[in-house]
Amino acid sequence: MVSDVLTPGEARQLGRLERHDTLEARNRRLAEGDAITMRVRRSDTARLAEFRIPYRKWMRVLDALNWVADNQAPDLAYRWFCGSKMCGTCAVRMNGREVLACWEAVEPDMTIEPLRNLPIIRDLMVDRGPFERKVEQLEPWLERSEAYSGFPEPLSHKQMKNASKALDCIGCMCCYSACPVIGLGDLTDFAGPAPLVQLGQTALDPRNDATKVAWSLALTGIFNCVSCYKCEEVCPASIPIVSQVIEPLKAKTAALVPDMAKHSNALRAVVAVRGYVDPSALVLKVHGLKALLNLRRALRLLFRGKINLLRTFLRRKTPASAAGARYLGREDVP
Amino acid sequence: MRVQSTDVVVVGGGAAGCYAALSLHRHGVKSVILCKGLVGKSGASIFAGNLVLAGRALGNTEEHARNTAEFLIKYHNQFLIDQRWARACSQWIENVYYPELEEAGLYLRRDDKGQVVTSPGKIRSVAANLQGNSGVPFMDLRRKQVIKAGIPRLEESAVTALLRRLDGSVCGVFALDIVSGEYQIVLARAVILATGYSDRLHARSTGTREMSGDGIAMAWRAGATLVNLEMQWWHTNDIANPPAWQRMQVYPNPMLGSEKSARMVNSVGEEFFNQQEDDPLAYGPYTVQLKALAKQVHAGKARYDGGYYAGFDHCDAREVETFTSYGKTFRQLGLRFPEQLVEAAVTAHYRQGGIDVDTKTMRSSVPGLYVAGGLAGHSNGLIGLATYDGKVVAEGVMEDLPQLALGVLREADVESEARRLESLLRARRDGVPVSQVKVAIRQMMWDKVGVEKDAASLQSALADIEAIRLDLLPRMSVVRAEKSVNYEWLDAIDAVNMVDTCQLIILSSLERKESRGPFMRRDFPMQDNSRWLAANLMIRTDNGYRFELRPYDLPFFQPDFAVKDNLEVAW
Repeated sequence: MVSDVLTPGEARQLGRLERHDTLEARNRRLAEGDAITMRVRRSDTARLAEFRIPYRKWMRVLDALNWVADNQAPDLAYRWFCGSKMCGTCAVRMNGREVLACWEAVEPDMTIEPLRNLPIIRDLMVDRGPFERKVEQLEPWLERSEAYSGFPEPLSHKQMKNASKALDCIGCMCCYSACPVIGLGDLTDFAGPAPLVQLGQTALDPRNDATKVAWSLALTGIFNCVSCYKCEEVCPASIPIVSQVIEPLKAKTAALVPDMAKHSNALRAVVAVRGYVDPSALVLKVHGLKALLNLRRALRLLFRGKINLLRTFLRRKTPASAAGARYLGREDVP
Repeated sequence: MRVQSTDVVVVGGGAAGCYAALSLHRHGVKSVILCKGLVGKSGASIFAGNLVLAGRALGNTEEHARNTAEFLIKYHNQFLIDQRWARACSQWIENVYYPELEEAGLYLRRDDKGQVVTSPGKIRSVAANLQGNSGVPFMDLRRKQVIKAGIPRLEESAVTALLRRLDGSVCGVFALDIVSGEYQIVLARAVILATGYSDRLHARSTGTREMSGDGIAMAWRAGATLVNLEMQWWHTNDIANPPAWQRMQVYPNPMLGSEKSARMVNSVGEEFFNQQEDDPLAYGPYTVQLKALAKQVHAGKARYDGGYYAGFDHCDAREVETFTSYGKTFRQLGLRFPEQLVEAAVTAHYRQGGIDVDTKTMRSSVPGLYVAGGLAGHSNGLIGLATYDGKVVAEGVMEDLPQLALGVLREADVESEARRLESLLRARRDGVPVSQVKVAIRQMMWDKVGVEKDAASLQSALADIEAIRLDLLPRMSVVRAEKSVNYEWLDAIDAVNMVDTCQLIILSSLERKESRGPFMRRDFPMQDNSRWLAANLMIRTDNGYRFELRPYDLPFFQPDFAVKDNLEVAW
């Protein structure tokens, strides 16, 4: 049941609740000995391999994979170490959704596939390399601008509120697989949710040197994030990835590397002052005179009525636009 | 086949291995870390729930400091520990360990006012970010320190043999890159083995996917002396179902910011263990719990593999979950938290014993071979102790480096190891699946070398392991005979190590003719300090092995009895 008032945690789970795809449902639907059907995407054949597995109490996806490896397909390649949601190496997709195999309850009927957005080594095993290299490039370690004052140093949980959420990250890459922007490949320079969470562990730590943080943030392409919340929905560690990691990192980027935030700042300014998205104002604000290089497109848009230059340039000052300008804290309204 | 040379090979990417490599790096000594899993992600170190405050750290009183030392020596090690090493370790933890970790960025959980949150009581602890999950950010930090330092690492690479010079000294390793299937040879002046506390040798074990007693088996083949292999620790309240969660614990020790801790209830609903009431000094009350459970089992009110329950139904959810991760398992099973308890079972946990070392340098009995962390059988289970070993081993190696020559490649040894591995990569028509062999070993160990054992069960186990060695190992068969990403092949390589390690454990268990802490023999139920307060050394000889006893010095703490029923001893 979806109640009328959602708590913040539930809001993230809204999609699942609507599909009645809750933990409780999954944990209670099966009885000891029931047969479950598991189809696995394997590298050697185009067809899905199908297995029938006897259900054991509270069975996890990893238990099902282990049963298959022990009894039916000993050559099935999949990675796992701890079985306890700590090492973060066993993530797969179950019925199209990223899950940690050791953590997620089995479904009566499930299709298991490898994570997306990463090269497949064999069967369910992906190459962690691209993710690891992105994390390394960001150098997500602490560099102090002031000398360490000795144990325990002054620090409060309030200051660490966002960083401590990021510290729950186990590097399982579920979010990296679920991210539609990462799915675009080289079209953007977006680092992706998982590397950003790894960076957030130290970049959102008040002890870190701002210059160092700025240097790291400049490599993230963070404003390519479309805030679709897919990453939050799949995170097995329940990290509020968008609200408590990416959004605070975006704010930090806007402050420390303002050039990267040009488009976001312009959009905010246009909306604050005009009350709507004026495309031509936005383009002019971001690109300036360079916008003229796209004259043909501009004319086409004008011709089809998509933009209205008169409205853009002959804007009247209203109390609302003045309030918007005050909100932005400046007078040079667009 | 790829061959490379370095100063020191570190085998293992946990707390001890990482700290050893980082210490060597700080002194300009080159090392390569080989890890069967992923550095900082596999193995036992990520399981660290919290960090115990040793010495006078963070407002510890003199009494706290003494309690912590007493707890380590009695409850963790039943006096089978070098007490002078323990004292040096606790001073280092107080003065170096916490500052080093915090300076590098480890976040020790604060409250909103900025106070580091501790558990109250006779022994105090802190947590890295969240109690129950401290090992994860701790080891993630180590992983990043290793990356930052540029220390080369060969991950998902299983070391299968120690390479030796003509004089028998160790000078490198032979490894299998699991993903590519390539052989990797790393030659060095010295090798540090740091493969960990825990192995997956029992049907229920906290050992992770990749752990199969490799360190013990390889060191024994190289001629190293072993110690106290029979001293096996058990978790008493790990989750009974599902199987993957056999390593997941309902932590019994005091909670951060609360006066309470988990309680355990037998099959008829009677509480039989609650650390806060039963033994406040038993901070990690594993042995105390196990003895309490043994009494329940004897009374028919629990089984070692289930039929009893653990949880927090005497607490409120906020109290438990403000600083701990303890609620997550209950919720993920669809249980109401904290009202419902979860069925628990025993799991083989850390082994106190391992390879015998000189605790001042971590030298083993074989020149060139050093051991650190859980594999060095000189103390039991805390991430701080394993880290300290990493420091000591680095110093021990550096002291010896001038005398240690570069590793030499002996082609014949390398070829014979490659042949041995390839003989395990065969599809046989009437063969036995490798997985069946592993399952058979683990079930046998659980049934006959479990919590309670006696000469008859151990002799029977010895016969079984010999039968597995002679009958099953030669017939192991894989379905896919390719080298890359072949976990079945890796399982076959593991199975050989498992058989060797199990045999050594069974022999050591037969040798110790007493019960002590978690080591319970039905035929010798008494703890006998007059005879067995000693290291049970297993020494390799030309025609096999012999056992020897080496008494422990007791400079600071001594047991207050000579002989007593082990179940009546608190620790």
